[in-house]
Amino acid sequence: MLRRLRAVAQSSMFRYIVRRLLYMIPVVLGISIIAFITMYAAGDPISLIKMGKPNVTAQTLEALKAYYGLDKPIPIQYLKWLTNIFQLNFGKSLYGGGSVNSLIGPEIWPTIELQVISIIIAFAISIPIAVHSARKPYSKQDLAVTSFSLFGVSMPTFWFGLILIIVFSFSLGWFPSAGAKGAAGFLWWGNPALDVIAHFILPVIVLVYVSLAQNIRLIRANMLEVLRSDYILAARASGISDRKVVYRYALRNAITPAITFLALALGSMLAGAPMTEYVFSWPGLGRQYVSSTLGLDFPTIMAITMLITIMTLLANLIMDILYVYIDPRVRIR
Amino acid sequence: MNAENDKSNSVVKRRSASQWAVAWRRFRRNKAGVFGLIIVLAVVFIGIFGDFLAPYPAFPNPQALTPFYNGDVRTPPNSHYLLGTDVLGTDVLSDILHGTKYALYVGVVVTLITMAIAIAVGAIAGYFGGAIDNVLMRITEVFLVFPSLLFILIFVRVLTLGAGVGTAINFLGINIPIGLTIVILVLAVFNWPGDARMIRGEFMRVRELEFVEAEKALGASNKRIIFRHILPNILSSIIVVASLTIAYAILLEAGVSFLGFGDVNTMTWGQILENNFASMRVVWWAELFPGLAILITVFAFNLLGDGLSDALNPRLRD
Repeated sequence: MLRRLRAVAQSSMFRYIVRRLLYMIPVVLGISIIAFITMYAAGDPISLIKMGKPNVTAQTLEALKAYYGLDKPIPIQYLKWLTNIFQLNFGKSLYGGGSVNSLIGPEIWPTIELQVISIIIAFAISIPIAVHSARKPYSKQDLAVTSFSLFGVSMPTFWFGLILIIVFSFSLGWFPSAGAKGAAGFLWWGNPALDVIAHFILPVIVLVYVSLAQNIRLIRANMLEVLRSDYILAARASGISDRKVVYRYALRNAITPAITFLALALGSMLAGAPMTEYVFSWPGLGRQYVSSTLGLDFPTIMAITMLITIMTLLANLIMDILYVYIDPRVRIR
Repeated sequence: MNAENDKSNSVVKRRSASQWAVAWRRFRRNKAGVFGLIIVLAVVFIGIFGDFLAPYPAFPNPQALTPFYNGDVRTPPNSHYLLGTDVLGTDVLSDILHGTKYALYVGVVVTLITMAIAIAVGAIAGYFGGAIDNVLMRITEVFLVFPSLLFILIFVRVLTLGAGVGTAINFLGINIPIGLTIVILVLAVFNWPGDARMIRGEFMRVRELEFVEAEKALGASNKRIIFRHILPNILSSIIVVASLTIAYAILLEAGVSFLGFGDVNTMTWGQILENNFASMRVVWWAELFPGLAILITVFAFNLLGDGLSDALNPRLRD
């Protein structure tokens, strides 16, 4: 057992992972410092919030500052914030004074649900469509696929959501226009499970269409490039069936950039899709981020920013490790 | 003798001019690209003359806005107001026409700044390589990996807090809105990394070609090689990326405005959508048409970019 552990510790992969994790520490600290300075350089949040409320007395302001620890110099505030982070305490929200944890905690899951469902659907559909379209480039079908995806990347995401709401929710009344759940007694389609599905459909359509369009463009372009390469010609010349050439040999090479894209999508998952969540009043982190930023709720913004930073870095690490297995040319150093 | 000289001269001349002529001939055959170009030209025309084409004057400063500005609030499309009026009583068609110049302003200026930074970073990293390349690429990666929309929102919010955001500077008789310009600067600062990486790749490719080696042997300075020899060679890729960047910048600005971070005194298309969002159940026309304007414009720039890409990089299409 001990020997096996030692073998793992000495393997190049393990050392690589440890090095990458150590390398993350300065990046995370650097980003937190930049974000902290940017926000607090804008002015102290209490006086920003006070703007337009002339009746607040000086005493109340002092008390508020002391409550939030804003009376201390910025480096001290930063260190205090940092020590709190290690105990997973993100401080107090400037709205309502409750803890940031209790504010954003319940919003993490709805965002993850929405994102994972859409990312998986988009990936599952995009690969066969893109491959099919790249096999017969500039055919009628390919033209349809490329225009469909070009529309997808040219459309403001949120506007597509608005149009869906106007048509399917306001005019036809098929789906709810907002939220993730109906109130008791106002369930969609009669029962709680169907109600949840009803709320998912429109936002998922929006998110899927957008990433579907991007994926198709990416994979199709790579596929066209790969199918023109010499080794594919060689494979064809040696009489391997077209199907096998495309799916076994070409796809593997064409799909690597798409995997990068997938990792980035999963990494920035917690960032949610602020626009889609905003349009559909989805109770998730993306919408929370928008309203916190508009309301200058600095502790909440910092908390969400740090969550996203760490998630993104971890997703990138996992992606780099996966590459070693997917792409035999990649070696860890 | 003389005649022969003339003839060979003219042949050389025709050849030197032909790269772009060939590209143009190839572009003309691409129907989608030409279609995109025509719409882009139409949008530019509206951007310049929109203020004269619009049936009603521009949206006034909201601070000075009397309620129910035209008297007709939330009017569905009719013969007076072809695309209806919005919640403030302004004519949607006029708002779209007046807003065209802002969309172009955003697209063009963001792209100019983005390309300037991207070319500087990409050229230095790609041409010199080594440690400097390593440092620049690490910085680029950090920018690329993070969800830039969130950082854009923080920066826009914090930077537009200052006083004077609602005003405009008069520059050569053109009013330049300050708030919108801040948004543009932030978008550009977060937009360059992808393009910088592309340009770096192009520089690394061209750097290895024989003619660069010949230039070096002749004793040309780095500056001369970069600006006179490599840059003109990758100009085609830069043009393609610039066209796509314009499209992306217009989309992004619309999103930032829609989320409520935009310049409230400048009626960009995103701002119209934001103003009418709360009442969209009633004024669906004020959401549908400005969005269509964005879609058509962005679609046209994307078509143009794809068409240019096919025409300028023929190896991608055979």
